[in-house]
Amino acid sequence: MVRAMAERHFVVIGNGPAGNRAARTLREKAPGDRVTVVSKARQSCYSPHRLPDFIAGRITEEKVLVCPYEAYRDERIKLRCSQEAVSVDLERGQVVLGHKEVVPYDGLIIAVGGRPFVPERLAPFGDVVLTLKTLEDAKAWIERLEQVDSVLLVGGDLTSFSVARALIHLGKKVHFLLDGDAFWPLRADDELLATVADSLSGMGVDVISDGELKGIAALAGGGYEVQVGDWTVQPGMIGAFCGLVPDVGFLARSGLRIDRGILVDEYLNTGFPGVFATGDCAQIYHPELRDYWVSVGYENALALGRTAALNLPCGEEREMAEPESVFEVKGVSLDTSWWKGF
Amino acid sequence: MKTPGRILAEKVAGAGASGRFSVRSGNLPIWCPGCGYYGIHQGINDAIRRLGLPHHEVVTVSGIGCAGRYPFFADTYGLHTVHGRALPVSTGVKLANPKLTVFAVGGDGDGLAIGGGHLPHICRRDVNVNYILFDNSIYGLTKGQPSPSSPTGFRTKTSPAGTTEAPLNPTLMVLSYGATFVARLFAGDPEGITAALVEGIGHEGFSFFHVYSSCVTFDKEFKTWANLNRRIHPVPRDLDRGDRKAAIGHVLDDDFSMGVIYRA
Amino acid sequence: MRAIDLTVEICGMSGDGTIAAGALLNAAMAKTGLSVMAFDTYPAEIRGFGRCVTRSRIGDESMVALADRTQVLISLDDEQSRSRIPFLEPDATVFLDSRPPALVAEGQSLAAHVEPENSLIGVPFGDLSSQVAGSKRSKNIVALGAFAGAFGVPPEAFREVITVKFRSKGGKVVDVNVQCFDAGYRYVHENHPDRVTGLLSPKEGAGTGDRQLLSGSVAISRGALDAGVKRYFGYPITPATPIMEYLARALPERGGAVVQMEDEISSIGAVLGSFYAGTRAMTATSGPGFALMTELITHGVMAEIPAVIVNAQRGGPSTGLPTKTEQSDLQAAVFGGPGDSARIVLAPTDVCECYRYTAGSFRLAEKYQTPVIVLTDFFLNNRVETVTLAPAAEQEIADGNVYPDESKKGGYRRYEITESGISPRSVPGQEGFTYSATGLEHAETGLPDYTPENHMSMSEKRQRKIAGALRDLPAPEEFGDDGPLDVGVVAWGSTFGSALEAVLRARAEGMKAGTLKIVTLFPYHADRIRSFMARCRRVLIPELNMDGQLANLVGHLNSEEVIRLNRVTGVPLSPREIYEKIRELGG
Repeated sequence: MVRAMAERHFVVIGNGPAGNRAARTLREKAPGDRVTVVSKARQSCYSPHRLPDFIAGRITEEKVLVCPYEAYRDERIKLRCSQEAVSVDLERGQVVLGHKEVVPYDGLIIAVGGRPFVPERLAPFGDVVLTLKTLEDAKAWIERLEQVDSVLLVGGDLTSFSVARALIHLGKKVHFLLDGDAFWPLRADDELLATVADSLSGMGVDVISDGELKGIAALAGGGYEVQVGDWTVQPGMIGAFCGLVPDVGFLARSGLRIDRGILVDEYLNTGFPGVFATGDCAQIYHPELRDYWVSVGYENALALGRTAALNLPCGEEREMAEPESVFEVKGVSLDTSWWKGF
Repeated sequence: MKTPGRILAEKVAGAGASGRFSVRSGNLPIWCPGCGYYGIHQGINDAIRRLGLPHHEVVTVSGIGCAGRYPFFADTYGLHTVHGRALPVSTGVKLANPKLTVFAVGGDGDGLAIGGGHLPHICRRDVNVNYILFDNSIYGLTKGQPSPSSPTGFRTKTSPAGTTEAPLNPTLMVLSYGATFVARLFAGDPEGITAALVEGIGHEGFSFFHVYSSCVTFDKEFKTWANLNRRIHPVPRDLDRGDRKAAIGHVLDDDFSMGVIYRA
Repeated sequence: MRAIDLTVEICGMSGDGTIAAGALLNAAMAKTGLSVMAFDTYPAEIRGFGRCVTRSRIGDESMVALADRTQVLISLDDEQSRSRIPFLEPDATVFLDSRPPALVAEGQSLAAHVEPENSLIGVPFGDLSSQVAGSKRSKNIVALGAFAGAFGVPPEAFREVITVKFRSKGGKVVDVNVQCFDAGYRYVHENHPDRVTGLLSPKEGAGTGDRQLLSGSVAISRGALDAGVKRYFGYPITPATPIMEYLARALPERGGAVVQMEDEISSIGAVLGSFYAGTRAMTATSGPGFALMTELITHGVMAEIPAVIVNAQRGGPSTGLPTKTEQSDLQAAVFGGPGDSARIVLAPTDVCECYRYTAGSFRLAEKYQTPVIVLTDFFLNNRVETVTLAPAAEQEIADGNVYPDESKKGGYRRYEITESGISPRSVPGQEGFTYSATGLEHAETGLPDYTPENHMSMSEKRQRKIAGALRDLPAPEEFGDDGPLDVGVVAWGSTFGSALEAVLRARAEGMKAGTLKIVTLFPYHADRIRSFMARCRRVLIPELNMDGQLANLVGHLNSEEVIRLNRVTGVPLSPREIYEKIRELGG
């Protein structure tokens, strides 16, 4: 086959920390091949864990962008921003983009990450509740924060703690409705929640740990009145932090095995040759745990991105995906490398 | 020798008081003695006089060649343009001021060769210009080269072996271009020219006057006075002058009939 | 600094409605009170064979040149639009059809080629058009809606110009197109809310939009109409044809006539005939046609007959580049034709000047009994600007004819030698003043005369006459710093605007720079040009020709060699190119 000797085309879907690291690793390991990154986001790769600092005004937008556009050009990585993969044809080896362009691949890494999870209880109030995933989200927060003095945070995932710190830094009054669902798809145990509540209180956050959200009403003069259990708070704005749900809806008919995320083996392979999933969108088998684990956190994402890329081009040298810094929550590994400093 | 030019000169001398030459300017024509253009000149003058056209409301536009000099010899407004362009310039004059009577004059080289491209268009536009084609079938001013109406085999200094091209038939051409008034005339018959001009000037639209003339200096064998005089004859009386098809048929058959051939 | 300075390109295949969309965009932006300068490029082929690009610079202040880079690209054909990517600003916004009719292979979408910094806005142009209008034909209108939505242009402005454009096709067509616009507008708000900016929303104190959006061709036509032109004789040729098209509608309404002649020779011939008979007439052409006219133009010089000729230059020589701009007919305009044939040559530099100097050329032609050539170019004729035309001044358009005194009746000498060189000219219909005009050298009477003394004195008279016209001709204008200059740019025609913008940029960076605008190319104001050049350490003459034709004409007025910047790329010289040359010379 003529194709055998030809330049190969590796496609990475997603340009978060995992996708970015995967692409750069591919370039490093396969210098003669073509690497394309397809990214739904408008901007280049940015680090979500720096968004709270960006909101706090501690770093500029440039610092949030971890990989400038020049780096992609220098490394001959074709970056397609604002372009969404809408389906993957595993049989033909093609990714179809939203604007109907068909991109063939010889190897594929899916690193689409997740989108903020809004639990059912909060869904009725979806239009007044802000989430934080993208740079655009962060800008919306900054804009809204200019007009308010107090904020109610609901949930309690890893990002929310940094946000709480950022808001205190900005001099805002922070109410925190701490919630066991916060670590979706994981569930925090009471001990962990108590520790977290202590830390938050210590920072000056008003922690509400035993209430149930009953209703939200918009006030005439701006802001909201929120009923939590027997309490009433009147925050200027509300943010929800309940973890991420893998953004893999577009793969529903692809034939990939999907549970909450894309199920992959310990080498991040989907079971289809040359097709890998990594980062927040992957559910990874752990041979020792004999169960799937889900990566959380920036450092883990980088490591997983690299692992997928190392395993893809040659398929000989196989590297195992290992959580880097782990603690157990109900039998699932959770990385805490970046929030330990909190 | 009594050339027609000399005869004409004698007539001029004897007719000063008659007013026959009132349309002439003070400048004597520079044409060769015996040239047919004197007769055409007289024919035009008489037409202007007979119609009583004020001289300052007449414009004579010409190109280049022996005939091109004509405006200098007429007491009208004159416009001696460049080679071949009398028709478009006269179009501009007539459209600028429709009250003017406009003549375009020029020779066969000027009107059929370099300026030949303008002829169909003034016909189809039907601009009210009176175009008098002085056709002696030769370039006279440049001393005798063949023109588009010269006969095949015509020998000149630039065609020492004789021309190989076929001659154009201007009367036939304008009939096919859709000209609305077509006459064929003879320089040796100034009265015939005047009569046709009087009719043609009155015609609202483009009028074409194809005048056979002789170049006494450079053509000794073809359109000589003797040859022309022997061959010309009036257009048959029974020709329907309103029938373009009949006119074309007639012209195809007869090269030497003189008079008004077609009038729309 | 301008708060708004946005260059928008629409690119498509001929047949996509690109040019129409550009025209609507320009009109709508003008309606909102913003300034517009726009220029389209399109293929020479009739239909279906080439790329169309409209380029509109939109600003809150009037502008003198097109911008170097593009901030917004609207793609109606991705393959064609690829060629525009190199001209995009790094953070440019790119609109494309996000739902082409069928799947396309990798690389066939514009999305495969844009830089990642570009802001990509996908809008289903074709699908929305099909849903609303039943065909994809209105996808260009959908695209305009998307643009308006993203940049905050008030939709009313577009709805109004769309209504005007489609009115003649009936209310239903208007409605459908307005709905297509609205669909694009809504789509962006609903699907790309993060891209919506208010950049072009109306600002406090913005203009009322009462300025006209005119092309150079229309301005030329209006100038001629306001000067009372009665006859237009012409032959179709790119890029002059729009003048004939405009006048073909407007002139009959004013009792005039347009005649399409059989060629350019007959066109100028008829113009001369008309002026000879006392009626204002004009023709417009481009290089190849102008070449055909030169013999008769010199006839006008010799016989002293007025004429007005617009030469809208295009790329040459020969048929050259019919749809590309160039300034390579200067020498032909000034010197073209047999003999010493001085005539007046004016080169407007912008749309307003196209109007003013065309209007003024009729009186000049009459007064100085000579052909006047208005030298423009493809860029100037085809670009549109938002302008406020001050009506032509009465004294600039008044009858310029000098008629003979009744007392001269009988002994009228048409070409009487006078101090000014101007001899009273009669027109047919005037009793007692018949004469024959001729292209032969002639005596005062008009009769041919080839004697040495006569040819000398008549040549001097004609030259004197043209030199004397200087006092009535627009003088060079200086812009920029007073006093000694590091670099002075002498510019003409449509290149002047770029020169001015380049000089302003150089001055903003602390350089001593200035520019001299030369409108009157012949005769020329030697003293004024010399005094400007004397202030300059270096004199730069940028031109869209290889020869350096203005440099050849006036370069000798400088004490040392002038610096030439010559480009023949078919596109206008950009301010940046001139600016970089200024920097290089001034450093």
